[in-house]
Amino acid sequence: MTTETASGAGSAPLAVGSSPVRRPIGRLAPLVPGLLVIVLLFLVPMGFMLVFSFMRTDVNFNLVPDWNIDNYARFFTVATYVRTFLKTLLMAAAVTTAGLATAMPFAYFLVRYVSPRLQRAILLAVIVPFWTSYLLRVYAWQAILGEHGALNQVLQAIGLIKEPSALFIYNDLGVGITLWYLYFPFAALALYAALDKFDFSQFNAAQDLGARPDQAFRLILLPQIRAGIITACIFVFIPILGEFLTPALVGGASGSLIANLVVNFFRGAQYAEGSALAFVIAFIVTVVLIVFRRYLRVEDVVARG
Amino acid sequence: MADLIRDLSRRQFLKGAAAAGAAVGIGGIAAACSSPAAPASAAAPASAAPAGSAAAVSAAPSAGPTGTFNWMTWVDHYYPEQLSIIQSSLGIGVNLTELADNADGFTKLKEGSSQLDMISGDALWVPHYFETGLIEAFDINSLDVAKQLYSIAREFKIWTSPAGYLGYPIGWSPVQIYYDPAKVSPTPDSWEVLLDPKYVKRVVVENQPVEVMAYMGKFAGVKDPYNMSPDEVAKAKDLATKLKPNLLKFAQQNTDTVAALISGEAWIATGNLGTESRVKQAGGPDLKVFTPKEGTIGWMDSEMTVKGGKNTQLIRPFLEAAEQAEYIAANFLINQRPLFNEKAYKLLINQGQQDLADRYLYNKPETVLTMTLKGPGTSTQGAINAFNEVFGA
Repeated sequence: MTTETASGAGSAPLAVGSSPVRRPIGRLAPLVPGLLVIVLLFLVPMGFMLVFSFMRTDVNFNLVPDWNIDNYARFFTVATYVRTFLKTLLMAAAVTTAGLATAMPFAYFLVRYVSPRLQRAILLAVIVPFWTSYLLRVYAWQAILGEHGALNQVLQAIGLIKEPSALFIYNDLGVGITLWYLYFPFAALALYAALDKFDFSQFNAAQDLGARPDQAFRLILLPQIRAGIITACIFVFIPILGEFLTPALVGGASGSLIANLVVNFFRGAQYAEGSALAFVIAFIVTVVLIVFRRYLRVEDVVARG
Repeated sequence: MADLIRDLSRRQFLKGAAAAGAAVGIGGIAAACSSPAAPASAAAPASAAPAGSAAAVSAAPSAGPTGTFNWMTWVDHYYPEQLSIIQSSLGIGVNLTELADNADGFTKLKEGSSQLDMISGDALWVPHYFETGLIEAFDINSLDVAKQLYSIAREFKIWTSPAGYLGYPIGWSPVQIYYDPAKVSPTPDSWEVLLDPKYVKRVVVENQPVEVMAYMGKFAGVKDPYNMSPDEVAKAKDLATKLKPNLLKFAQQNTDTVAALISGEAWIATGNLGTESRVKQAGGPDLKVFTPKEGTIGWMDSEMTVKGGKNTQLIRPFLEAAEQAEYIAANFLINQRPLFNEKAYKLLINQGQQDLADRYLYNKPETVLTMTLKGPGTSTQGAINAFNEVFGA
């Protein structure tokens, strides 16, 4: 460890004959592939979209450089877009909260009470759904939540309901349940990684010194797994803001989130309008990330999350 | 191993890492720039071609042009066995890209026409492609296989230009309304049934905003629902607002509609010809179907030759083979909607399938002239805005 620090970037010996000018260029070489990916596949397309968003789509689906901010104004002047975006924020917050509330005890139990070998097996079970396609998993939830689905059959079998209920699907509840399932592993893995590094003897020491269990949890455990919690929030909250497939498949006519409205523009080849709407969302997501960043250093995520 | 790492200088490691990264990056970029889809033979599922199908069509190895061309199309324009036979007999392969909808295909072609050689398109979209300079006209009567078409299909005015015919006619269908007579009464005959408060959460329509607004436009009495005035869009929007509580879901594809009708979750649905048959075959209820009295929307599609396509010399021999009646009859039995190949209709009669073919109007191609045809319109943006306002929160 010490050796690594000592031979770090600042003190690396120069190769014989290399000029001071070439040295920093050589050091940048490993950055190039990643940088190319970010520039070519992210920044350049984003640049195009930004330009498109100030244009207008004519009746022939051409993007016309009739520069204007109408596409942005639409978001703020048509109440549907603001309402749908607020609904999306609420949905993301609700699913994040539900995800954390279930993933935290799950990860805690796993780290505290389960043998390492069994931990690995259970974690594998958490990851297994990723081996199947996202689409298949959402379709599976159609089969579970549907009026004649597994959930209704179980509820009828145990006598809780007499008739099949349409309560669970093609509405916001169906979207929420499905998203909760889809994003639970992200929250669970982030929290598990954080809890796994926590020294539980501190927890016991706090209680030995008179702290109630809830105090020990709040004052000792939570601050030390903060990075894991924030990472879990980012992994769940942010992607849900862009979710369109789950609402389309299990949301019915009333379960649309903001990305569904964006997709409608793109499917109709209204690129200018869709781009502006996408940028508004991206801007707000960026603001959310900045807010998160105030409480999180990137190093925390890398080192602990 | 440790020695090996120690022997590898920092500079060597960085050079190696950079080279590997560059290789991966360049490989990815090269892959992205290459053909847009896997070859059909590799990507397609096993064929369900019915007996008496086009296996008999396989021809002797061709002396004509061979190679692979790029085709953006809908999945019901071909079936895998058909493409395999053509590849082995003529040496013509196909790189397939699935076509989501007309607007999607049009904009993609406009942005990168050199990557495609043939594209499928609907009704009034076809002249739009031509006027935009994206496709080439051709002499349809110079194709031997075109003689198998209903004569009406070789003479559609919307597909005729001084330069020639704009697309090779494939199939068509009106959008109809299907309903379960055990649940829906009295017998409906209008778009209005979709809005009837008795059927809350019992209706399924396609997830196509412009089409849904066009349905509402038809119900509102709008003559041209793809070119609605702002007032007409507003009328359609009001009706869509009444439709919303009745909608169970938007179907992503026809199988979603069929599944909802089979399970009984949906009682009413819009769809192409043949939906009731697919529901029945899958064990669902006996459905009734009607064409709304206000008129309906319909599609008729074709294959178009992309202007500037690098492999367009393969299209003519491909069409001569792929559009043979045997293939088309098999396609009908798989997808169950009318096609324009008259000889295939006669084959279906010989195969004892006339009832099925007539039920799906295969013998009445002139019906297409009574439909409001799909096409690009001036009200697309207004329709999407109205749709979003209704179906957003």
